[in-house]
Amino acid sequence: MGWVTEEHPTDQELDACVQCGLCLPLCPTFRLTGKETASPRGRLQAMNAVRDGLFEVDETFEHIMDFCLGCRACEPVCPGMVPYGRALEGTRAEIVAQRPSASHRLRAFLLGSLLGSRGTLNVGSTLLGFAQMLRLTELAPRRYRRLTSGLRPLRGRSDASVGHSGGSGAAGSVGLLSGCVQDQWFRPTNRAAIELLEMAGYRVEAPLAQTCCGALAAHDGKAPEARSLAAINTPAFDGYDMIVATAAGCSAHLREYAHWADDGESVGSRSIDITVAIAEAIERGLLPRVETDNGEIGIQDPCHLRHAQRVTAEPRAILEAAGYQVVEIDPAGMCCGAAGLYTILQPEASQELGNQKAEQIRSTGVKRVASANSGCEMQMRSALGDEVEIRHPIEWYLDAIEAARTRVNVAAVKDPS
Amino acid sequence: MSLVDDLRSALSHDRVLEEPLELHLYSKDASMMRGEATCVVLTETTDEVAAVVRIAEDHRVPIVARGAGTGLTAGASPTEGGIVLSTTLMNDIEIDVDNRTAWVGAGVINLDLSTYAEPYGLHFAPDPSSQSVCTIGGNVANNSGGAHCLAEGATTSHVLGLEVVLAGGEVVVLGGEAPDSPGLDIKGIIVGSEGTLGIVTSALVRLLPLDPDVRTLLIDFETMEEATQTVSDMIAAGFVPAALEIMDQKMMVAVENWLHAGFPTDAAAMLLAEVVGETEAVTAEAALISEMAYKNNARGVELAEDEAHRAKLWKGRKSAFGALAQISPDYYLHDTVVPRSRLVETMDEVQQIADRYGLDVYNVFHAGDGNLHPLISFDASEEGMLDKVQRAGEEMVAACLRNGGALSGEHGIGLEKRDMMRASFTELDLDAQARLKEAFDPEGLFNPAKILPEGSRCFDFGGTRRPIPEGAWV
Amino acid sequence: MTHPGDIMRLEAEIAGVPADVLAVAPSTNDEVASVLRYASDSNKVVDVLGGGTHHGYGSPRQPEIVLSMGRFDQTEAWNPEDLTVVVGGGMPIERLEGMLAERSQTAVLPEVPGSSTVGGAISAGMSSLRRGRLYGTRERVLEVTLVTGDGRVVRAGGRVVKNVTGYDLPRLVVGAFGSLGVITSICLKLWPVPPAAMTVIVDDVSAADVVSRPLAVLESDDRKAVFIWGTESEVEAVSGRLRGEEIPGLDWPVDPAGSLRWSLRVPPANTSEAIAKLPGGWRYLAVHGVGDIRLASDSRQGAGALRSWAEGIGGRLVVTESPPASLPDFDPWGEPPPAIELQRRVIAQFDPRRIINPGRLAGGL
Repeated sequence: MGWVTEEHPTDQELDACVQCGLCLPLCPTFRLTGKETASPRGRLQAMNAVRDGLFEVDETFEHIMDFCLGCRACEPVCPGMVPYGRALEGTRAEIVAQRPSASHRLRAFLLGSLLGSRGTLNVGSTLLGFAQMLRLTELAPRRYRRLTSGLRPLRGRSDASVGHSGGSGAAGSVGLLSGCVQDQWFRPTNRAAIELLEMAGYRVEAPLAQTCCGALAAHDGKAPEARSLAAINTPAFDGYDMIVATAAGCSAHLREYAHWADDGESVGSRSIDITVAIAEAIERGLLPRVETDNGEIGIQDPCHLRHAQRVTAEPRAILEAAGYQVVEIDPAGMCCGAAGLYTILQPEASQELGNQKAEQIRSTGVKRVASANSGCEMQMRSALGDEVEIRHPIEWYLDAIEAARTRVNVAAVKDPS
Repeated sequence: MSLVDDLRSALSHDRVLEEPLELHLYSKDASMMRGEATCVVLTETTDEVAAVVRIAEDHRVPIVARGAGTGLTAGASPTEGGIVLSTTLMNDIEIDVDNRTAWVGAGVINLDLSTYAEPYGLHFAPDPSSQSVCTIGGNVANNSGGAHCLAEGATTSHVLGLEVVLAGGEVVVLGGEAPDSPGLDIKGIIVGSEGTLGIVTSALVRLLPLDPDVRTLLIDFETMEEATQTVSDMIAAGFVPAALEIMDQKMMVAVENWLHAGFPTDAAAMLLAEVVGETEAVTAEAALISEMAYKNNARGVELAEDEAHRAKLWKGRKSAFGALAQISPDYYLHDTVVPRSRLVETMDEVQQIADRYGLDVYNVFHAGDGNLHPLISFDASEEGMLDKVQRAGEEMVAACLRNGGALSGEHGIGLEKRDMMRASFTELDLDAQARLKEAFDPEGLFNPAKILPEGSRCFDFGGTRRPIPEGAWV
Repeated sequence: MTHPGDIMRLEAEIAGVPADVLAVAPSTNDEVASVLRYASDSNKVVDVLGGGTHHGYGSPRQPEIVLSMGRFDQTEAWNPEDLTVVVGGGMPIERLEGMLAERSQTAVLPEVPGSSTVGGAISAGMSSLRRGRLYGTRERVLEVTLVTGDGRVVRAGGRVVKNVTGYDLPRLVVGAFGSLGVITSICLKLWPVPPAAMTVIVDDVSAADVVSRPLAVLESDDRKAVFIWGTESEVEAVSGRLRGEEIPGLDWPVDPAGSLRWSLRVPPANTSEAIAKLPGGWRYLAVHGVGDIRLASDSRQGAGALRSWAEGIGGRLVVTESPPASLPDFDPWGEPPPAIELQRRVIAQFDPRRIINPGRLAGGL
C-alpha cells in the first residue's frame, strides 16, 4: 500500500542512508537489544521496504517504529545527514493513518486537545498536587507511577508564567513559550527564565494566545494535532526578537516549525533554547559570573538539546558561570529513556535506560545534576529518588547568583549597552 | 519440530526472529547484495552458538554469522538463506593488564574495546574506518585492517587466541597468551575466513600500550602524484609512520560539507600522516615529513593542535564513505591493493575507466600500504546504472590486478568478489582453498557461497558453475 | 605416475645423508612436484632439508628421501619501495638480510640464523628477537608457493603488504613443518631499518619501562639488555633515560648451547617467573614482553616439573634438539594441541599420504 499521507518520509530522506551503520552504537535501543530491528539503520530500511512496496505498514512495522525513542542520537554521527527524526515523525503519522486504534485516538485527543487546554491542565495539575500530598500517586498504575514519582512537588507552586510581561527591553524582546505541562509542573524553571532574561535587559512576554508547542503530538505521529497547535503559536509569537523555550524538547520542536506551520519558518529561525539565550547573555556580559566555588555538578544532556540542536557547550558554560565544576555523566550522551510518551508506552525499555543513567550518575558521586529538559529530570528523579537534586541549569545559575548576592560577591555586570 | 521451534527451545523466544520484515532487515550487510534469512538468532553464550550450529546441521540449513553488519562484500548477507546468527549480545570483555591481552566477546564493538582498555593505558590497534560500529567478531572474520595497520598489521597480528564453534557444534579454544602454540595455526586460518570455517564466539586479542606522544599532520598538494611521492619518500627514508591516508578533492568536499573538519577542499589531494611514539621520535619524524612534503611541492602542512583537532581529522577520514550519501543514494567501493610504487598509474587507469563509463569516482585510501578504495557514487534506481557500475568495477579491479595487486586489502571477498577470485588464482590454487574449507565444514553449512567461486574444488570441474545469483544485487 | 628414473636425475650429494637414502636437489616447482608425487605413490617418507638447523623438533620418522632446498636460493624480486621481497624457500637468511641491509631494510627474521633458510625458519615458526615490537615471522609472510605432498603447485596470498584475498594459507604454513607442502617461494614483508640503534645493558629488565615499546628486551644468563632503534635524536634521548652501559648498534645475543635445547613458551607476564623456575645449570635467552625463552641444558633433570608448571599456566616446554633416544617417555611437544582431528583433516587435504616430515608436528602429526 505504501504511504497514504502527506507526512510520509520522502525519497530524499530515505535515500540519504547508505546503511554504513555508524548510527548503531549511538542508538540506545540497539545497545539495549542488539537488534538490527531496534536500530536507526534497520528502521530506515523498514521505511524503505514500505516505500518500495515490499512490506505493508503492519503490526511488526508498528512495533519496530514504536520502540524508537526518537532521541535522534543517530543524527549527529550520520555522515549522510539523514534527517532521521523527521522521517520517524512522518512514519509515525503514517502508522496513525494506516493503523487506527483506540489508543491512537486517545493519544490524539490527549496530545492535541488536552495539552492545548490550559484550563484543563491547570485543574488536573492542582488535583495531581493534592494527590501527591496525600500520597495517592503511589496508587497509580505501575507504568504511570514512574512518571508521578519523578514530578516535583506541585502544591504551593509559584505562579504560572503565561501572561507575564516585564523587563526593560534594552537587550531586545523575548517571547517565552510557557509550555503545556512545563508551565504547570516546572514553574520554577519558567520563573528563573523570566528573571534571568529580564536581568539581562530583555523585555519578556509569555503571550496568553500561545498553546502547547505540539512536540509530543508530532513525535507520536499526531500530525494534524501538531499542525493545529503550531497554527495557533505562529501568530502568537509574531514580532519578538527571539522565542525562547525552557524545555529542550519544546525548543527543538519550535526550531522545526517550518515543517509544521505555513508561516513556521519565521518562528523556527527566531527560536532558541533558554540555555543558549542565557549562555549568550553571560558571554556578552549581560549576566554575571559567580566567583564562588559551588563544588561539583553533574551535567545531563537532553537528547533534544544535544542531538536535535547540537547544543552542548551552553549549559556547561552556564553552570561554570554559576561557580560549579561540571562533571560529565555520560560522554556518549545516551538517552535517559524518558523520551516523552516512551515512559508510558515502552515502560520496560524506558526503565532500563533510566536505571543505566542513574547508575552513571551514582558512579560520578555528584549530588547535584543539571538537566535542561523536564522529561529527563522526571525520569532521573524517578530512578534516583532523593539521592540527587536535579534542576534546570538556569535554576542552579539563578540560585548561585542570589546566594552570591547575599554575600555581595557578584562580579560586576557590564553595562548592557 | 520446526527450525524456529528448535531454536526457541535452545535460546529464548525473543531472541529468535521470524517476522518477514524483521528478516528483511537482516537480509543484507552494508554491501549492495541482499539475501533472504530463514530466521535470525541472537545468541548470548558459546553454548547457545553450539546449539544453534547443531540445530542448523539437523535441519541442513546454512548459518551466517553477523556482527554489526558493516561488511562491504556481502559477507554477512544470507544469500543462500538459512539462519543469521547475530553476535551483538556476546559482548563481555575480560582484560589481562599484565599480559596486555583481553578475551573479548565476538559482539564487542572495536572502539568499545579500546575505550574500555584506555584506563589501563592500552588499546586495540586495528582501527577500521567503521571501528565505532564494527565488532571484534567481524574484524576477525575479515582480518580487518584500518588506517593504523600500516605499522602494526591487521587484525590477525593481534589475535592470540580464539574460541570457535566448529562443525558439529564442537567448541575449541585455540592459541593463548603464550607465543607459538604447537600444531597447525588453526586460529590463524580462521582469521579472515569470513565465517566460512566456523563461528568465532570470543577472541583473545593483543592490546598495545597507548602511545606516549603523537603528531598528526594534514598536508595538501596540487597533484595526487606529489602526495603519493611524499609517501614513497618516507618509506625510503627508513621509517613507517603510524598512518598515511590520502583523500582526493571530491571526497574532501563531501566530508567538509558535513563535518567542517578543515580539509583543504581546494587542493587536489590531502595527505593525513600520523607518527606515534616517544616525544623525541615524533618531533623529529614530524619535521622530516614536513620537509619531504615541501620537497614535493606541498602547499601547506598543518599540525593538529590538540586531541580534539586530531579526533576531528580522523572522524572526517573515517566517515568518508557515508558522507558520499549526500551526493548519490548508492555507492560501490572496491578495496584492491597494489604495490605502492604502482599507486599513481593504477589511479589514473581507474579514473580513465570511470570516465569511459561516465561515472563519478572518488578516492580515499591507505596510501602507506597501497590499499585503494575507488568509490563509485551512483543512483541505483537509474535504468541500467547498476549493470554499468558493476562492469566498471570489474574493469577497475582488473586494472589493479594488472598492476600486481590483490583483490582485497581489508574488506574481504564475500559474495561480491568471489567470482573475481579466478582472476587472481589458478584452478589448483582455488582447489587448495576449497580443500581447506572442506576439512573444516564438510557439509558446507557455514556461510556458503562466500569467498570461493562455485566449482573451486577440482572434482566439480565438469559440473556447472553457478554464477552469483541474479537479483542478489540491490 | 612419475617414474623413479625422472627422480634419479635430480640426485645430488648431500653431506651427512646415508647411502641408502635418496638425496635429491630439485630446482623447479615441477621437479619438486615429481619427487613428491613419486614419494606419495610409493609411500616414501621425505625429509625437506634447508639449512638443517631445525631438525631436532618432534619425533621424525626415518626418511627415505632427503629433498634439499639448496637450489631454491634465489631472489626472485625485490622492490624496496614496496617493502617486499620474493625469495626461494632455500634462501639462507643471512644472505638475504645482508642484501636487504644494503638498502637499509630487513625481513625481521632471526638475527643469528646460522645456516637457516627462509623456508626453514618459516616451517619451524622461528621468529626474530624483535618480535615484541615488529611481530613474529607469521606476520611477515605475504605469499607462498607450496608443492603439496601429492605434487600440486599451489600459490596463496599476494605480493602486496596487505591482503585478505582468500584463506590465509601463507600464515598456516608458518610452524607447519612442511605438513602442507614444500615451500618453494616466499614473498616477505620488509621493514625499513632506521638510521640509529643502541644496545643498553641494564641491571633489571624493569628499567625498560621508561621506554615505550622498545625494539627488544632480552635477558640471558649474564646480561640484560634493552635494544632500541630510531632517529638519531630519539635513540640518544631514550638511551640516556635507560642509564646503562651503551653499546652502539644492535648487539644480538646467540641462543644458548647445550646437548639438549628447548623452547619454553609462557604468557609474557610470566617470563621472569619462568627464569626463576629453571633447573640449575640450564642456560637461557628470554624475550621479555613475548614469553619466548630459548633454553639449553646438558641433562633433562627438572624438565618434567618445568613442563607441568608451564602447561599449568597455558604455556609449553618444547624440545628443539636432543641426542637420539635421549628423552624416552618425554613427548617433544608436551600435551597434544586442540582440534587435533581437524588438523589431521587439513593436512590430509595437502599431504594425503603424509610423506613430508611426518611426526615432526605436535600431536604426532
